[in-house]
Amino acid sequence: MKTVLLVTLILFNALSFTSNAQSIKKASLQASGLTCSMCSNAINKALRTIDYITDVKANIRNSSFEITFKQGAKVNFDDLKNKVEDAGFSVANLTATINFENEPVANDEHLDIDGMTFHFLNVKSQVLSGDKTIRILDKGYVTSKEFKKNEQFTKMECYKTGTAAGCCSKHAVAAGTRIYHVTI
Amino acid sequence: MRCCFILYNMRILFVLAFLFCLQLLKAQELFVYTEPASNMSAKSIAVRLNNNLMKETSTGKYNYHLLPELMWGISKKMMIHAEGFFSNRNKNLDAEGGSLYFKYRFYSADEVHSHFRLAAFGRGAYNNSDIHQPSIDLNGHNSGYEAGLIATKLINKLALSATASFLHAIDNGNGNKFQYNDKNRNAVLYAVSAGKLMLPKNYTDYNQTNINLMAEFLGQANLGNGRSWLDIASSVQFIFLSKMRLDIGYRFAVVKDLVRTAESGFLFRFEYNFFNVYK
Repeated sequence: MKTVLLVTLILFNALSFTSNAQSIKKASLQASGLTCSMCSNAINKALRTIDYITDVKANIRNSSFEITFKQGAKVNFDDLKNKVEDAGFSVANLTATINFENEPVANDEHLDIDGMTFHFLNVKSQVLSGDKTIRILDKGYVTSKEFKKNEQFTKMECYKTGTAAGCCSKHAVAAGTRIYHVTI
Repeated sequence: MRCCFILYNMRILFVLAFLFCLQLLKAQELFVYTEPASNMSAKSIAVRLNNNLMKETSTGKYNYHLLPELMWGISKKMMIHAEGFFSNRNKNLDAEGGSLYFKYRFYSADEVHSHFRLAAFGRGAYNNSDIHQPSIDLNGHNSGYEAGLIATKLINKLALSATASFLHAIDNGNGNKFQYNDKNRNAVLYAVSAGKLMLPKNYTDYNQTNINLMAEFLGQANLGNGRSWLDIASSVQFIFLSKMRLDIGYRFAVVKDLVRTAESGFLFRFEYNFFNVYK
């Protein structure tokens, strides 16, 4: 009986191991353009309207928010940015903790992870395993000064717009696909 | 005459010196007598009860004006306010009209704990009360329209705002005409505002009460006769539970060349914000 239970458990885990590929577990967002608590509360309440967010912990002093996502949810970083902007502010910094399953990444290359296209910049070629924190470098996720500074890391057009252009066809990414430019 | 001029200037100098000496730690840009260039959150609604108690210079009695206001954040860049006007100038609390105010934020540059924003605004007002002063006030006295610009700068230690607008008065309703000469129907309004957060010293949660102090210079110059007035307004503002606001302000004139029948007085305002009212 115990052996049957054990085997069932192992099989169950193995199945979830393969079907639950990478998952975006949480994110840390810092907003810009505000100091006061009512402004911070506007962002806090706006983020909470996203249905795949289970919790938001606000640090009013730093204008930062620790966001927890629903297990296995389809997270869209642009949703977070749009909520902050609709509240009247901007994103200064966004990092996300993703659980990787032996994912090989290379510098200045596109990669599809769970239906989201990522373009890793300023990274060494490596295999990502376990929880790793990535930082979004797209326009609207960093200050304009930093966005300009990071232009040195790629010559591809998609960096300027955040969507696939002619540059990306060699990686079989359809034109107009949303590409998240990130670093580790 | 000369001694009064010096006194007025000294009052202004004193206030300016006070402002300069303010070692501001953090600031709030929710000014009491003016609107900032920032916008409300999109899809939010706010309700305000504005109460003005203004002292009539000739009689010494206080007139009460009630202006209920409804505000709607249409998008991150646009907002609209609708106001109603009630006053007891003629004994009972009479409904005298209303106005629509529209603001469009056309520029925003954000950094952590700071921003610079620019907005354009317009206002149209209808009022049916008698016109008893050459100074134009679309917020409870005159029918007319207004168009202007606001620039607001928030840095860690300081919140500053500058507002400038053009006003035009038309005749009021109920046959009450503007009788101060047609060439005097146009004016410019200008304001400089500063705000400081006094409490809390450290932010720990949304339930803390915020206390802000504001100092504002408000002025109007008539484009027809060149006469002007200049007021200093100081206010204390309480923010409760990061969603409600109570403002208590007092304004008085330092330049009174452009006449108003009741130029100084108190403002009591209560505001409640509803966030994310619809999807």
